[in-house]
Amino acid sequence: MRQSQAAVLERYRVLEGEFATEPYEAGWATEARWFVQVLRASAPDVKVVLTTQVSPDGLHWCDAECPPQVAEGEGMVSWPVREFGQWLRIRGSVEGDEGSVKVQIYLTLKE
Amino acid sequence: MGNITDSELAGSLRRAVLDADPALSRYNPLSRILVFDQFNSGTHGWTELIGNHDGEGNLDTVDDHMRDFRPPQLSSCTFFDVGTHGAMTGTYALKVATRPLAGHTAVAIRRLTMAKKGLVQFETYFTYKAEAASEENGAAQQAGAGEWDGNIHPSEQQFGAFTVATDICDDRGVRYHCVARYQNTDLENRFTRRWMYPVVPEPTPREHLEGKAKLAATDDFTAPNPDDWRYFGEPQSFCYNEVPTKVNWHYLRWQLDTEKQRNVELQVNDRVYDMRDVPVPAYEERYDSLDNLLNFYVSTRTHTNVRNFLFLDSVLISVDW
Repeated sequence: MRQSQAAVLERYRVLEGEFATEPYEAGWATEARWFVQVLRASAPDVKVVLTTQVSPDGLHWCDAECPPQVAEGEGMVSWPVREFGQWLRIRGSVEGDEGSVKVQIYLTLKE
Repeated sequence: MGNITDSELAGSLRRAVLDADPALSRYNPLSRILVFDQFNSGTHGWTELIGNHDGEGNLDTVDDHMRDFRPPQLSSCTFFDVGTHGAMTGTYALKVATRPLAGHTAVAIRRLTMAKKGLVQFETYFTYKAEAASEENGAAQQAGAGEWDGNIHPSEQQFGAFTVATDICDDRGVRYHCVARYQNTDLENRFTRRWMYPVVPEPTPREHLEGKAKLAATDDFTAPNPDDWRYFGEPQSFCYNEVPTKVNWHYLRWQLDTEKQRNVELQVNDRVYDMRDVPVPAYEERYDSLDNLLNFYVSTRTHTNVRNFLFLDSVLISVDW
């Protein structure tokens, strides 16, 4: 049976402007999938741009080869990541001067 | 050869069997092994602690100080200077990591129950680290960072504290916490290197709901008032090994008595602390829905804006029932 793990990296957290999730080690996993649930948006057209980042050491980061995802308004977006090496995080941006979102962010991993 | 009793023979045979297994031979379990968690093969039930939520699943109802204890990670102990260090057993250890925020606490918990009262023992091989500095995290400029003298590394003074603790409730609803905390530095980032215990029970979600407690996000959830902690034993130094990227594993053995609702003793490497006289305050109110609760948690708390990490190679919990 393959090992798997789900981690809640942000829980009911209000985000605005630029942000990054905490580094998460996942070197044991072959595949990963992000779930970003926007529980509340300050306006229906508020966009969150979500870029997957990878790191060899948890300190230095670059964008992964998967395209940035965009969440608009409330709802959930999800995307897979493979060949990510050791560490994963999301670098994100809430678009708009007054834009804010309340999110729950899951990282799910599988051997 | 002198005569040996049946129980002495049984004890010797049991120890011989333990010693035949390299993984178990490094432990000293009581008569029944309840769990043996080698994190090279998964998280084994260690999960993030979170406060309670309402009937609608609204996590806004979770207490502010109990909603961000961070998910534990299976870590290969990989660092910027050498790459993968690895664990004591295989590649992976359980890592409990704080945010880079002074006062933030990360907590992983293991949930069990008691089939009988008696002795309970928690053993682990552990190590702890502050995060290495980078341009992005700015650790070298954060509180606690000092001069590098070629021996003591500035990051060592940026590690706050780690805690081993329980949440126990008997079959009559009497609930209490046995707690042992290693305080590496005080809240001003000065080395103290002392073991300590709280003299008050941990504030609970029910007490908050009843208006008796309201803590801020980075308050010390185990006992928020620094005056409610007492040192025990003499200062103890560990093998931090000079830099934040070298991992040396330390042995910890902590024994409790759930019949007496007391600690028994704490062994950490070459020191054994008698904890029989350490007070263990129970809640005045009785708790329902927690019959025979036996939870263990480990936590780490940073006293500066630098991530703190507690690594566990493996855990063995044993009982005398």
